[in-house]
Amino acid sequence: MSRRVAAVRLLSIAALTAAAACSDSTTPSGAGALPVLNAVQVPEQAVLARTVPGFGGFFFDEGVPTVYLTDVAQRGAVARALGISTGTLQVRSARYAYRQLDTWFQRVSYEAFEIPGVVFADLDEAHNVVLVGVEHRAAAASVRGLAARLGLPAQAFAVREVEPISYMATLRDQVRPVVAGLQINFSNFLCSIGFNATSGGQASFVTASHCTDRQGGVEGTQYFQSLASQANSFIGTEVADPDYVRNSPGCPRGKKCRLSDAARAAYATGVSNAFAIASTSGPNNGSLTITGTFSVTGKGTAAVGATVNKIGRTTGWTQGRVSQTCVTTGVLGSNVALICQTFVDAGVGGGDSGSDVFALSGSSATLLGVLWGGNSAGTLFVYSPMSGIEAELGTLTVN
Amino acid sequence: MWKSGGAALCGAALLACGAMSDAPTFTAAVPRSVRAGDPVPVTLRLTNPGTKPVDLYLTGRTVTFDVIVARADGAIVWRRLEGATGQQIIQVKTLAPGEVFELRATWNAAAAPGDYTVQGVLPTDGEALRTKAVPLRITAAR
Repeated sequence: MSRRVAAVRLLSIAALTAAAACSDSTTPSGAGALPVLNAVQVPEQAVLARTVPGFGGFFFDEGVPTVYLTDVAQRGAVARALGISTGTLQVRSARYAYRQLDTWFQRVSYEAFEIPGVVFADLDEAHNVVLVGVEHRAAAASVRGLAARLGLPAQAFAVREVEPISYMATLRDQVRPVVAGLQINFSNFLCSIGFNATSGGQASFVTASHCTDRQGGVEGTQYFQSLASQANSFIGTEVADPDYVRNSPGCPRGKKCRLSDAARAAYATGVSNAFAIASTSGPNNGSLTITGTFSVTGKGTAAVGATVNKIGRTTGWTQGRVSQTCVTTGVLGSNVALICQTFVDAGVGGGDSGSDVFALSGSSATLLGVLWGGNSAGTLFVYSPMSGIEAELGTLTVN
Repeated sequence: MWKSGGAALCGAALLACGAMSDAPTFTAAVPRSVRAGDPVPVTLRLTNPGTKPVDLYLTGRTVTFDVIVARADGAIVWRRLEGATGQQIIQVKTLAPGEVFELRATWNAAAAPGDYTVQGVLPTDGEALRTKAVPLRITAAR
């Protein structure tokens, strides 16, 4: 069970300037002057509780060092323990001593997490209470009942409805709703999701054609997000991936060609998805941690010199300028050529295949295409523009 | 008449990596000497000497790898992937205990007689794996 997660804190304050003036009766005589603490290393609450009789908690109130005391006459003892003058210390009258609150906190914390919806338990030194965070009212009622059963006075206890706390997800984690930029897995391969789309009323996602069991042709590739080994990770099945053909307009001799390295998969029933792109903290910083989403607002094209973006599971969010458009591009190790592709001077890595490529305006993204290739240095990526994708997969609704 | 150089691996490219003594090795092998214009067979070997399987995150449906031939002063005279556009897909390949995964390429020794080095590079979803550079002498054509 959780143990003193929030009750023991060590505060390090560098060049702290207090900005609040104090006026209550327990305010030091020097109130009005702004106390300045430089590089104060505040002892742990538990240490103060052992050394100061009646100590009820220490915190900074708008920058002012503030202590709860059941006996306000102990102001001097606190100041000595903190290594500051009594004139800089604000004192509040405490109902309960820290050690008493800690005893209650231990009891509550030990049992509270058996109640569905409990998020955290805290000895709240800034309010001289035991605080429990819950997701919903039902949990709050149960927690109040628990506190009463454990003998906590009503004024020693508080409940707050809060958002649940989860691990920070990355582009490689299982994320729902499914959005563009996330890792997908099929067979023993990893790629990224290009974008979500509706086609003929079918909720779908688009990724690279070579991110199917066989590049070109539909063989019902099954996709998982983010790994097949995870529970509830199956998200959909390949439904469209036109064949690569010889002698099509613009196709080089000896090559099989298409206008796009793109395929469409239909979402499985019940898999939540959204017309959005997972975003990280910024372009070209290497972060894979998801910090939000970009809304997909439409489709577009990019000319040479335009700044474009991609977000994929390996190199995250990269951004650069279009260097070439409508390039007939041979694919290393194959007899495939892709017609009318776009080159971008931006980072790429293995696993980014299938990624969304988009232009950004605020938090609104205009889809430009699907990334499929790159150079060996990882400094240039190649994508299939939306025009080629829709010429081969049909019209796609993307927002 | 073969020479090889290797490096122990243990990093982002590996899902599991045991003690360093069990870490996979990546080596390059080329003939010690060839005549100018003759084909140079290059063999890269990724070996799992350990007792546990190792998963590798490699790039490409057909595994992408580079071979770099450089002069003694470091100037590159040939790269297998120069100007190539590769698919950016990851292939998770499991190397069983004792398994050796070989990658082969051929370079026509289109260079002046002299001493060169050959290095293999294996892109992964993390840092690329690199062999030690092994020497290659090119002698005058027949």
